[in-house]
Amino acid sequence: MTDMQSPLIETVDLKKNFNDLEVLKGINEKIYKGEVVCIIGPSGGGKSTFLRCLNMLEEPSSGEVYFEGEKLDPKSTNIDLHRQKIGMVFQQFNVFPHLTVMENITLAPTLEKKVPLEEAKEKALKLLKQVGLEDKANEYPRKLSGGQKQRLAIVRAMAMEPDVMLFDEPTSALDPEMVKGVLEVIRKLTDSGMTCVIVTHEMGFAREVADRVLFIDEGIVMEEGTPEELFNDPKHPRTKEFLSQVL
Amino acid sequence: MGPSILDVFKEYWPIFLKGTIGTLRYAFIAVAGGSVLGAFVAFAHLSKNKIISAISSAYANILRGTPLLVQMYIAYFFLPLVVPFLNNVDKEVYVLIALTLNSSAYVSEIIRGGIKSVDIGQSEAARSLGMSASHTMTKIILPQAIKNILPALANEYIAMIKETSLAGTFMLYELMYTRTILANKYLSWQPLFIIAAIYLILTVVLTTLVKVLERRLSVSD
Repeated sequence: MTDMQSPLIETVDLKKNFNDLEVLKGINEKIYKGEVVCIIGPSGGGKSTFLRCLNMLEEPSSGEVYFEGEKLDPKSTNIDLHRQKIGMVFQQFNVFPHLTVMENITLAPTLEKKVPLEEAKEKALKLLKQVGLEDKANEYPRKLSGGQKQRLAIVRAMAMEPDVMLFDEPTSALDPEMVKGVLEVIRKLTDSGMTCVIVTHEMGFAREVADRVLFIDEGIVMEEGTPEELFNDPKHPRTKEFLSQVL
Repeated sequence: MGPSILDVFKEYWPIFLKGTIGTLRYAFIAVAGGSVLGAFVAFAHLSKNKIISAISSAYANILRGTPLLVQMYIAYFFLPLVVPFLNNVDKEVYVLIALTLNSSAYVSEIIRGGIKSVDIGQSEAARSLGMSASHTMTKIILPQAIKNILPALANEYIAMIKETSLAGTFMLYELMYTRTILANKYLSWQPLFIIAAIYLILTVVLTTLVKVLERRLSVSD
């Protein structure tokens, strides 16, 4: 029960400016182990920036991010150790084009966690099977479709055995027919109990998988609640307006 | 008019051959040395430390913003005064130092450009996996940057083949120096066309090779 009470990730008055532009205006959030949190909101509202602050890809202008009780410091060397436990999946996949599918997956574990190559390969193959890419292990990413690239990116992150997975609009750059397969993979992850924070425009998906939905706009969490609360009975006028436009 | 171009070439081809070898050699030394030095300058320029970055940026700007010939004169006449242990070395070394420093400025921009041409998402993905900054550079960024860097380096070598013609001013035995040798034999114009033709052949052949290299490297994209 103590595990449930101390949050996996906590942000305290998180603020981020890009020059004069205040993108995050103070976000206090707690994300607990096993939780699936979906973040929705209009473009430019700060949801991706918030997500990117959680692993310090974006350095907060002020405020703190705690991961497993420790304050994240982008300048400290153990930020790499923390990031190994925070998987991230990007809108643009960002698979490594000069490495095979297998190498994409095994590089970080063998390099940073000193996992023996054979063991890493075995693990990678198992993960590839789960996402239906086992026959692509020796291909280069250029031979993969967008959906396959994104599934590879998910597997690559999973191979580090993270404690939480961050998804930054994982299906926004995909052709419509590829979306379902990727969402299916993410759904399997959430079903398996993986803590997930998902920035998404897929409202149906958010409603289905989320334990909690955050509506982020104008740099703050304007409203949050269970999917039922947020989608069926939004309180804030901005939430209502946004949902009326996307649903 | 004197003897024909062909006659001059038939008579003196060993001189032109020696000059051509000198040209290729000086250009190679300059670009090879420039690459090593240029890599340091490029990484310094990319450094988060603002002072280091500014110094290397200024270095590249000064060397690219002043004529190579001026740099050679400075190296030739000024370096021996301030670096005494160079006093006993061949004068060739001073000119080569100027060529190498000059090349390093261009190469540093080539390397910096090659690194910056790699999508930022690549390093973000690597860092988000918990890869260190140095592993991210060596395993993710550089292997991709090299595809842009190698052809540009080859082009720098081609450019340097032409630039080394200035070294003849300092009696270094390269292609342009053959003009001086043959001018002593009252051959004023024939050697110039031979020299120009050899430069042209060198650059055209090498440019073609670079294009092949570029095509090869882009296959894997």
